[in-house]
Amino acid sequence: MGLIGKISAAILVLIFFLSIFSFLLVPYDPNAIDLDSLKEPPSPRHILGTDNKGRDILARILYGGKISVGVSVLAALMSMTIGMAIGLISGYAGGKTDTTLMAVVDLILSFPAFLLAIGISLVLGEGIYTVMIALSAVGWASFARLIRGHVLSLKESAFIEAARALGCSHARVVLVHLLPQCIPLALVMAGLKAGGYILTEAGLSFLGLGAQPPTATWGSMISTSRVFINSAPWMVFFPGIMIALTTISFNLLGDSLKDMYDIRSEKEVG
Amino acid sequence: MIPLLMGITFITFSLTKALPGDPVFSIVGERSNPEIIEKIRKEIGADKGSLRQYAGYVTLLLQGELGRSYYTNRKVVEDIGQKFPNTFLLACAAMTIATPIGVLLGFIAALNKGRAADKIITTLSVSGISMPVFWSGLLLMLFFSLRLKILPPSGTGGLQYLVMPAITLSLPALATLIRITRITVLDTMDMQYVRTARAKGMTETAINSIHIMKNALIPIITVIGLEFGSYLNGAVLTETIFGWDGIGRYAMEGIVKRDYPVIMGSLLIGTIAFVLMNLIVDIIYHYADPRVRVHGTDR
Repeated sequence: MGLIGKISAAILVLIFFLSIFSFLLVPYDPNAIDLDSLKEPPSPRHILGTDNKGRDILARILYGGKISVGVSVLAALMSMTIGMAIGLISGYAGGKTDTTLMAVVDLILSFPAFLLAIGISLVLGEGIYTVMIALSAVGWASFARLIRGHVLSLKESAFIEAARALGCSHARVVLVHLLPQCIPLALVMAGLKAGGYILTEAGLSFLGLGAQPPTATWGSMISTSRVFINSAPWMVFFPGIMIALTTISFNLLGDSLKDMYDIRSEKEVG
Repeated sequence: MIPLLMGITFITFSLTKALPGDPVFSIVGERSNPEIIEKIRKEIGADKGSLRQYAGYVTLLLQGELGRSYYTNRKVVEDIGQKFPNTFLLACAAMTIATPIGVLLGFIAALNKGRAADKIITTLSVSGISMPVFWSGLLLMLFFSLRLKILPPSGTGGLQYLVMPAITLSLPALATLIRITRITVLDTMDMQYVRTARAKGMTETAINSIHIMKNALIPIITVIGLEFGSYLNGAVLTETIFGWDGIGRYAMEGIVKRDYPVIMGSLLIGTIAFVLMNLIVDIIYHYADPRVRVHGTDR
């Protein structure tokens, strides 16, 4: 992995740990209202300042990170699992199964993703689980498409033929021989997707469809601080920095994993 | 195309059906007179069975009817028709900003591969994809409207209103265009015919403009088309922040008030615009790239 990939991975790990151990790091409750310190600019006491209800922004960012990053990563893993299952079945089975499943995939991909996620969130009602389901319900399709393509190219290779000739059942061929070959590819895509999901989750929270107040997420923090942009710009500034930083790290990590994977597969071929 | 549209209407209808809450209550309040509730229920067709409702839904769609807003009682299709030109204008403005800058920067990055210029441009591109539009929009607003006071913070109207939402909306497309241009130009540079051209003694400028640019154009057109298609379904977040009176803000107002006909109408129109744009891209692709055409007729 290149230097950029390593730095991105390090930043992500740091964000994870800071979010998980936030209660040790900041002496403030993220939801504690303090009417004596409303909209205070960053100071030694409140490193990133306070919001319109006197809540410590650093505490809210760290607690919010748990939700924003957690939801995105889990949704990426869920999309990956569903997409991989469908892609494996579709590619291996071929024929009518393949045609039907790919028609569904095309249908989902023909929707503008953000609008469809909004629609699903509205149906399921607001909340973080809803966001997770909406992201996965939309996101699995691209995984399925990718994995199916990969399976189609693997299906004709000698080791699969050999496995069949040795008497492996279809289930064994798919689970033992094909699945492991698809995991690196799927993980790379999951990394790239997680970056996109951070943005989508923030967008949905911004529209009020994500976690409900007083729970902090990065998107909802920006949403509620919109009206205070002139009097307390730090309220808008810091959560956005976190979203951008996390998404950039996921994207760069995904890119460098992709490069690494390509190099390896080239070596295998040559 | 037709099966796809049927699939889309089926999904939008299922979503409409599955939406929580009773829309009738949201019009009259839960403690209203039962007779009034019943009357409204009949008016909006909530008392019929699912299948009849779907049949009714498709028939209405074919007649160009998207229902009426629960709140204003105005026809959704008329509202959307009124707001679409604004969304279209914004989408055009954003692409006008993104295309030349994105292609130029992508080209510069590719020609300087591995050097400082490439690294800076690539970093800018990744940042552009990774910034939430509502955040970059708010920062622009803070800087240009509230601090420098040279642009109005929100509203719909002339150029001074258009500038900031257009810039905000152009950022992700700009970033994607940089990326795609850089990759295609790099791929094309390795091609035999580019080496041949160089061996023939063509100048670098001629090679760049005639051979590389022409071939890199196709993926670039694809990206422009796809991004434009996604803008047409109303940039919900950007339009909301800048109070731009387009389909996106219309949908957002629907979401806040749980005005389902408004939301579903915007969703459907946005999706159809998106699908049509993809189709147009496919057609352009077909005519722009002789290789696609040859493969098509060979088969």
